[in-house]
Amino acid sequence: MTGIAFAMLLTAALAGYMLNRRAALALRDGGQRLHSLGMFHGLYAALAVLVPAVIVTLLWVALQTPVINALVMAGLPAGSLDGADAGARQLVQAEIQSIAGGRVFGTPEAWKLEAAERLNALHATSGWLLLLAVAAVIAGALLVTRRSVAAQFRARQAVERIIMGLLIACSVVAIFVTVGIVLSLVFESIRFFQMVPITEFLFGTSWEPQIPIRADQIAAEGAFGWIPVLLGTLVITFVAIFIAVPVGLMSAIYLNEFASPRFRAIAKPVLEILAGIPTVVYGFFAILTVAPAIRAWGAALGIPVAPNTALAAGGVMAIMLIPFISSFADDALSAVPRSLRDGSMALGATRSETVLKVLFPAAIPGIVGGVLLAISRAIGETMIVVMAAGLIAKMTINPLDSVTTVTVQIVTLLIGDTAFDSPKTLAAFALGLMLFIVTLMINIVALRVVRKYRELYD
Amino acid sequence: MYDMNRVETDVTQDDIKIAARDVQVWYGEKHAIKDVNVDILDKTVTAFIGPSGCGKSTFLRCINRMNDTIPSAKIEGRITLDGDDIYDRRIDPVQLRARVGMVFQKPNPFPKSIFDNVAYGPRIHGLARNRAELDEIVEKALRGAALWNEVKDRLAEPGTGLSGGQQQRLCIARAVATAPEVLLMDEPCSALDPIATGQVEELIDQLRSEFSVVIVTHSMQQAARVSQKTAFFHLGNLVEYGDTDDIFTKPQDSRTEAYISGRIG
Repeated sequence: MTGIAFAMLLTAALAGYMLNRRAALALRDGGQRLHSLGMFHGLYAALAVLVPAVIVTLLWVALQTPVINALVMAGLPAGSLDGADAGARQLVQAEIQSIAGGRVFGTPEAWKLEAAERLNALHATSGWLLLLAVAAVIAGALLVTRRSVAAQFRARQAVERIIMGLLIACSVVAIFVTVGIVLSLVFESIRFFQMVPITEFLFGTSWEPQIPIRADQIAAEGAFGWIPVLLGTLVITFVAIFIAVPVGLMSAIYLNEFASPRFRAIAKPVLEILAGIPTVVYGFFAILTVAPAIRAWGAALGIPVAPNTALAAGGVMAIMLIPFISSFADDALSAVPRSLRDGSMALGATRSETVLKVLFPAAIPGIVGGVLLAISRAIGETMIVVMAAGLIAKMTINPLDSVTTVTVQIVTLLIGDTAFDSPKTLAAFALGLMLFIVTLMINIVALRVVRKYRELYD
Repeated sequence: MYDMNRVETDVTQDDIKIAARDVQVWYGEKHAIKDVNVDILDKTVTAFIGPSGCGKSTFLRCINRMNDTIPSAKIEGRITLDGDDIYDRRIDPVQLRARVGMVFQKPNPFPKSIFDNVAYGPRIHGLARNRAELDEIVEKALRGAALWNEVKDRLAEPGTGLSGGQQQRLCIARAVATAPEVLLMDEPCSALDPIATGQVEELIDQLRSEFSVVIVTHSMQQAARVSQKTAFFHLGNLVEYGDTDDIFTKPQDSRTEAYISGRIG
C-alpha cells in the first residue's frame, strides 16, 4: 500500500508540474506579463503536492502500529487480561503479532487467534485509508495550485519559501537527533544513578561491573567507580598525543616549508590515505605488529611488559592521528600571509628561523585547535582500543601496563546477555554520558580557539 | 669585455654602492628585465619610476635576491655590492639580505610585540651581547624610524595593533635595526594616507645620511620630493637614469617625457 501511495504521489507531482507550467505558459502566450517563469508555477504545484502528502504518509506509517495495537488489545474479550501486569500484556501482544505474521507456536487460545485476525484486518483497512488520505491531499493540492496560476501570482517567491522551509527542516533534524541522543543517555544514566550513588561512580577507585545473577551465587559485589577507567583512557590518549603531535607538526612544517613540490605531491596523498584506513585495520596492526614488538623490546631490556600495553594502543592511535594533526597544521601554516614570510626572509632570516620564529607562532592558534580536536578523537576512539587495550581496570599510569578505556568498557558491558534493568548494563550509559561531556567540553574549547584564530588575518 | 672593464673602473670610485651590468630576469617564459645597467650611489635616495608591470619591483628584488624565493625566476648578468658579485656562489643570500634591508608595499609587522618586531633582526644575527644592548638597538632603530615617541610606553603591545602609518614605520625600524648598508623600499607609501605618507617621506630623507636608499614608487611627485637620482623603467628596459632634477625638467628620451607628462603609464 505504501508503495502504491508513493507511486501515486510522484505521478501527481509530475502532473501538477506539467499542468501548471502549461497553464502559465498559456497565459504568457495570451499576451499577459507573468511575474514568475512558467517553471516556478510548475514547481510550486509539484512541491505543494509532495510536501504535505509525504508528511501525511510518514506520520501515518509512524502512528499506525501503536494505534492498531491499542485497538486490538482493547478489543480482547473481557477477563482475558485479568491480573496481568505490563510485562504479561507485552507478551500477549507479541504473541498475537507473531500469530498474525503466520508464526504459530503450540496451540494458542481461540481469543488470541481471533485477535490476530482482527489485527490483520485492521492493517489492511489502514492501508486503504492511507491511500485514500494521500489521494485526498493530492487532489486538494492540485486543485488549489491550479487555481492559483495567474499573471500576478508570485510563484517564484512561493517556491523559494517552500525550499527554505525544507532547508530549515534538514538543519533542524541534526539538532533534534543530537538532543535525542543526549536525552536517551541522560535518562538511562538517571536510572543507573538510582541504583548506584553518583558520588560512588564519580569518585570510586574500583571498577568491577560484575553482578551476581542469582542470590546464592558467589561473585563480586560489583563496584562502579569510573576513576580507573578514566585513568586508562587518559594514559592511552596521552601516549597517542605525545607521539602524534610532534610527528604531525614536524611533517606539516617539512611539507609546507621545505619539501620540493614533487615530494609534497607524493607525501600529501599518502598521508591522506593514512587518514582513510578503517580503525579496525589499525587494531590488527596494533595486536599483530606493535604489541609483540614492544614486548620483545621489553624482554630484551629486562622490563616486564603486559601483553596489551597502553603504549601499543596509544602508539597505533597516534599513527591514526598523525595525518589529522598534520593536515590541520599544514592549513594553519598555509594561512599565514606570504608577506610575513617575505618580511622575515628580507631581514636575513633563514627558512628555519622564519618557520620557528614567525610562521609557527602565527599559526599556533590553528594548530592548538587541531590538537584539541585530535584529543577528543583519541578519547572517543573505540575500535583500536577494543582490539589492543586490556579489559581489566587498573589504577596505574604506567604505559607498559595493561589498561582499559571508557569506550572498551561500554562495549564489553553491552556485549552478550544484557538486561536493561541491571546496573551492569546501565553503567554503559553513564560512561557514555561522561565521555560525551568530556569530548563536548574539549570541542567547545577547540572551536573557540579556532574561531579566535580566524579573526586574526581576515 | 667592455662591460667587465667598466665594472672594474666603477668600483674604484668610493661612492658607487651597487652596480648592475646587463641584468636579465625571466619569470618562466616572460622576459621581465632586459639589459639593465645602473650604478646606485651610497648615501643617496634613488627612485625607480615607471608604469605598472615595467619591472621596477622585479629589479629591486634582484638586489637582495628575494627573487630566489620564486622558483620560476631566472636571473642573468652581474650585480655587485661594494664590488662583490652578489650572485656569486660564495655569497650567502641570507647574509646578503642582512646587508640589504627591504621594506614592502603593505606593512607586514609580525604578530609579536613592538619590541620583538624590532629586535627580530638583531636577535637572529646576534648583534647584541646582552639585554641592555638589545634595548639600545631597539630604541635607536625606533628613534631612527621616528616612531619612538609614539610607542615608547607600549613596547610590549602587539605591532599589529598600530595604525597603518605606524606599522610601516615599525617595518622600517625593523629593517634599520639589522644595521643594513642599503635599504630597498617597494612602494612603501602606497597603502598609507597622505599624513602617514608625509611622515615616511620625511623619514626617508633622514635615512639618506646613513644608508643608500632605493625606493620604487608610482608617484612621480614622491620621486621628485625624496630622491636625488631617478631611474625610469619601461617594459623591462631601463630607459633613462640620471639626476632627479634633470629627469623631471629635461628628459632625454621621448618615452620618459611621455611618462612624466602623463601620456603613458
